[in-house]
Amino acid sequence: MTIEPELLMGYADNALDPLTTKRVERAIAADPALAEEVARHRRLKVKLAQAYAPLAEESVPDRLAALLTGTSNIVPMPVRPARPASRFSLPSWQSAAAMAACLVVGVVVGQRVDQGPVAATNHGLYAAGSLARALDDQASGGSGPVRVAVSFRAQDNGFCRVFQSAQADGIACRDPKGWALRRTMPGTAPVASGGGYAQAGSSDAELMAAAQDMMADMPLDAAGEKAAIAKDWQN
Amino acid sequence: MAAFENELLALLPRLRRFARSLTHDAADADDLCQVAIEKALVAQGSWQVGTRLDSWMYRIMRNAWIDTARSRRRAAETFVAEEAGMAIGAEGNAEARVALGEVDAAMRALPAEQREAVALVLVEGLAYKEAAEILDIPMGTLTSRLVRGRQALMARLGEAA
Repeated sequence: MTIEPELLMGYADNALDPLTTKRVERAIAADPALAEEVARHRRLKVKLAQAYAPLAEESVPDRLAALLTGTSNIVPMPVRPARPASRFSLPSWQSAAAMAACLVVGVVVGQRVDQGPVAATNHGLYAAGSLARALDDQASGGSGPVRVAVSFRAQDNGFCRVFQSAQADGIACRDPKGWALRRTMPGTAPVASGGGYAQAGSSDAELMAAAQDMMADMPLDAAGEKAAIAKDWQN
Repeated sequence: MAAFENELLALLPRLRRFARSLTHDAADADDLCQVAIEKALVAQGSWQVGTRLDSWMYRIMRNAWIDTARSRRRAAETFVAEEAGMAIGAEGNAEARVALGEVDAAMRALPAEQREAVALVLVEGLAYKEAAEILDIPMGTLTSRLVRGRQALMARLGEAA
């Protein structure tokens, strides 16, 4: 069996989907040279990360910090004003995800729901209210107004969860400020908890693919998730 | 201070590291940081709240590096000064300095397109997809450049099979 160098590298970086991972694992089992190549990739990764790490620990020179803290004479361009014709008109948005996120905020703001599921903060979109509580406490796979599909560790080592609700579907990642919404799209879960079978929404495949890309490893199992909930999703 | 400036300030240490992995020279790296910050401040209206500021900044910095260093890059690739590489990095302890010097010289020898892929994935720790988006190239192109860059680094750093 031949394995492309890119796949071996991807395996070394834990960047492959589960099926491809299995395929590479079988090839490695049959050929020690491939295993050595994977080990070399991992040693190089550690070497580079260690070599450059001290640079991020250095204090930032004053002249750079001053650009952001003090009296800089750079005048920022004004934020593009909304078109008066329609508050939902979104010129030149660059990604569907951003558009979906905006729609979610638009809906929440439009309804004047202060305790809505999404809060727009200076640091971006965060889960609020019932969504934040569900992300904090609810196990994956359950039913209810908010459903959590899967929990996983992202490559930055933080915890993330894929969720669905009536107002929004998305991926939320835990940071010190709460559950930051990384992906959001219009919700697919039924509004009423009528006991019907939960259909996987159209957002499902897209969100799962996005989650796959963000994952450092496999999704958390039930025990791992329970432990994470008990520790309030702290590392 | 506005939230945007605050977030940018928090990112600065990582941006300096990224700049340093691209340029190999501490003074050039901080010049590149300055250019990138100035561009970001001017363009902050085009940053979408809720999207990743770090990816946006990496992209600005990488494009600024391409713009300003195109001519210098050619010179750097034909003249690989290993001794100079060993002396770079006057800050930090001696051990880190030596380790960086060796890695730095190997990075310097890479073509720019491989170096930026290696910098984003191995130094900054981004996912392949994030790196591909920042560089505005397809995933296949990213992985191909990354694997060639890594193989060259392994050869130079004594990791040859």
